[in-house]
Amino acid sequence: MTEKSRLRYIIPGVILYLAVPLLYMIFGNFPDRTILKEAVSLLTVGAFFLMLGQFYLTRINKITLKGQKFSRVVILHKVIGYVFIPVLFLHPFLVVFPRYYEGGVDPVNAFKTILTTFGSKGIIMGFAAMALMILIGITSMFRKKMKMKYTTWRYSHGFLSIAFVVLATWHAVDLGRHTDAFLSTYMIGMAAIGIFFLAKLYFVEAGKIPQEAVNE
Amino acid sequence: MSDKSDKGMSRRQFLGLTGGVVGAAALASIGFKYRGTKNERKIDPENMNYKENETDILVIGGGMTGLFAAVKGHDAGAKVLMVSKGRLGSSGQTPFAKGIFSYDAATASVSLDEFTEQVSSSALKTNNPVFTRQMAEHSKARVDELREWGFFDSPLYYDSFSKPINERNISVMERIMITHLIKENGKIAGAAGFSIDEPTIHIFKAKSVILCTGAGGFKPNGFPICDLTHDGSVMAYKIGAKITGKEWNDGHGGSMDNPAACYDGWHGMFAMSPSKTGVEIHHDLGVDINYRAYVLGNPVSMMPGGDNTIVEGGPYVPEKFVRNREAGAPPGGGNGDKMGPPPGAEAGDRPSGPPPGGEEGRGPGMAAGASSGGASAGMAIHKSEGLVPINEKGESNIPGLYAAGDALGSYMAGAIYTQVGSSLAGSAVQGTIASEAAAEYCQKAVLQNIPSSKISRIKEEILAPLKRDSGYSPAWVTQILQGVMIPNFVIYIKKESILKAALAYVEELRDHHSPMLRAADLHELRLAHETENMIVNAEMKLKASLMRKESRCSHYRLDYPDVDYKNWQAWINIYKGSDGEMKFVKQPFDSWPV
Amino acid sequence: MSIKKISGCIGCGTCVKSCPTDVIRLSPKDGKAYIAYPEDCQICHLCRMYCPVDAITIEPEKSIPVMISWG
Repeated sequence: MTEKSRLRYIIPGVILYLAVPLLYMIFGNFPDRTILKEAVSLLTVGAFFLMLGQFYLTRINKITLKGQKFSRVVILHKVIGYVFIPVLFLHPFLVVFPRYYEGGVDPVNAFKTILTTFGSKGIIMGFAAMALMILIGITSMFRKKMKMKYTTWRYSHGFLSIAFVVLATWHAVDLGRHTDAFLSTYMIGMAAIGIFFLAKLYFVEAGKIPQEAVNE
Repeated sequence: MSDKSDKGMSRRQFLGLTGGVVGAAALASIGFKYRGTKNERKIDPENMNYKENETDILVIGGGMTGLFAAVKGHDAGAKVLMVSKGRLGSSGQTPFAKGIFSYDAATASVSLDEFTEQVSSSALKTNNPVFTRQMAEHSKARVDELREWGFFDSPLYYDSFSKPINERNISVMERIMITHLIKENGKIAGAAGFSIDEPTIHIFKAKSVILCTGAGGFKPNGFPICDLTHDGSVMAYKIGAKITGKEWNDGHGGSMDNPAACYDGWHGMFAMSPSKTGVEIHHDLGVDINYRAYVLGNPVSMMPGGDNTIVEGGPYVPEKFVRNREAGAPPGGGNGDKMGPPPGAEAGDRPSGPPPGGEEGRGPGMAAGASSGGASAGMAIHKSEGLVPINEKGESNIPGLYAAGDALGSYMAGAIYTQVGSSLAGSAVQGTIASEAAAEYCQKAVLQNIPSSKISRIKEEILAPLKRDSGYSPAWVTQILQGVMIPNFVIYIKKESILKAALAYVEELRDHHSPMLRAADLHELRLAHETENMIVNAEMKLKASLMRKESRCSHYRLDYPDVDYKNWQAWINIYKGSDGEMKFVKQPFDSWPV
Repeated sequence: MSIKKISGCIGCGTCVKSCPTDVIRLSPKDGKAYIAYPEDCQICHLCRMYCPVDAITIEPEKSIPVMISWG
């Protein structure tokens, strides 16, 4: 086996997609909050960056993935998907949950207000992103049952992901309590790089997309 | 941020790394500035919208009193419109009132008569026993209704207050400041004001108006009454209503540590759900700690265990209401121990309450520490100041104009805090009774026609600060007024020479600065009108204090330190004379105006 | 400095209405709440307690304007 150590891509990935944003949140100039609220924020932002990190774990990453056995990378891609999707799915509830422990608006009322603030672009983007994310999750879990050609599935997975990332990033930059200038720029940058290379792969290098799933 | 203290460690402490360096930079970033020397208008006063609204009963104010006035007036068959400077259940003192008195005849340790008698005894007869008894008698019914609406389930009252309002489809207009009451043919005809959100002047034509506007203060630091500036009393005074109770003082203090932080000073009480209180009668001054601070100098401690120096003299407390300091109970006479915050005491609402001293178990424990004074400066004992009622229904001397709650000088508790939690209960009870009376009045009353010339004049008066190109900013005038009125040797520990000196300042502000207040936007327009009302209140307070040449309950004169049972078994009523001057007249205790 | 920061606002406007002293307004630009009149904050925390997404940070300190001779 000439497979290179997996650490060669995992370590840069962890730095880019977890260490930088989370350390920035911890040490940046943000208001102090309770540990529970901080934990929820770290979890949510961590999940968001894991989501962005999915780009890193695809064929568009020709640098650190060079020489890796792709079937194993894809397993990691799947596992991470199963981790961040539930967290992002739950994060609207996690935002209001800590209110249960303090005087003030109760979590149910807070949640109702969030759901009914249709005037907010960020909320609408969030809804739309959530719907796409669920769709992506389901079509990934049940890919083999869908009787879809692998190539078709790959394209649809890619396009849905691009749409999802755009909406989710917009939502996060608009509504995130930690998305100041730096973190916003970082999010948008990471998302843009991923989208750019994915689009390039599809439109410019279309011929190179394998016809069969790598892990089959 | 405050939840840090509530919840234990913060993120940074948790990580033990960056410590407390942050925030210092941000601290300097919000500059407070007086807005220019020239009026840099953000809205055009020549281009305002105008709306007329009609109703049977106009309820002004959206606190506990306004809630019951709106609901009960509707239930009595009247068309009701509520208008509020803030939001239902989220403005005035109501949001911070966490204790409500409920008298249950089946379980109470004393009868209604005994309760009333005990309050009168603590209050040195300054209370009106009709209102004292009425509050207790109806308190349980109101508390039961509140429970049904979910009042006791949340520290925030908007939802529980909205429930009965929405069920009845009662109209509510929020964030509108009423500046004028309108009287035609000797009767109430409506009110006028403006929206603080959009450039609109509102005229309200009504058969009856109920002032549920609360009391007020000088926007003091440390008490959540910065939106209360006696608006109701002052506009009623201007159309001929009688006002009482201006010599009394709520004596709440705050903490020397961040004195302006109401929330922190009350140690999280604002975030607690409300609860009921039972019979427990005190004589809680608040003035006593001001006396102590005046005699000994700072620091004074609010808690037992601090400085135990006995101070001679000071406000009189009836023997049986002197509290035993060692027992950890509240302030006894003269040695003011706890003054803290949470108010509470009598009145109740806790918030408003009194000096906090009061009940044990009051709130989350107050840390020992030096206290600051004047947290509620400009406000009297709950329900001791406001419109003079001509009967037990809260009717004023102007037909169709009613007041209830802290806007009514009912002397329900007297000129001192007596029963814990009774303020909030009294607001609910009085709002109900006034509104049922108003609904009955409306059956025979007709809408008065308001001449357009009068409406034009009112519009001009409302917009005047916006139209001035130069003048004085409300923030600066307010600051000057605070400097004149809030020192404890002016408003709490009184003597003739200082009262007169302060009055000279206040008359200057009244004559020269009130007419030159300016505003650049609707927020500042509100401040301008509030400032004008505070100046009127200051004049009333100083003149009433000069007139009352004795000391009793929450009024203390260094030059007349004793209770004068011969000449001063009377309240002071204030009215505007036909010459425009402020006039004063005594009304004997336990009597109605003639 | 009393009310200090609003971050993560969804623009529902609840804080604007629940502030007794009219400190907060919604920005016409992005529809989000901003601290329009910090000097009038009475540090009562109603805005924070009503905010559905807990976006408001308040500190107990208050800067008070210096006394000047006219203004």
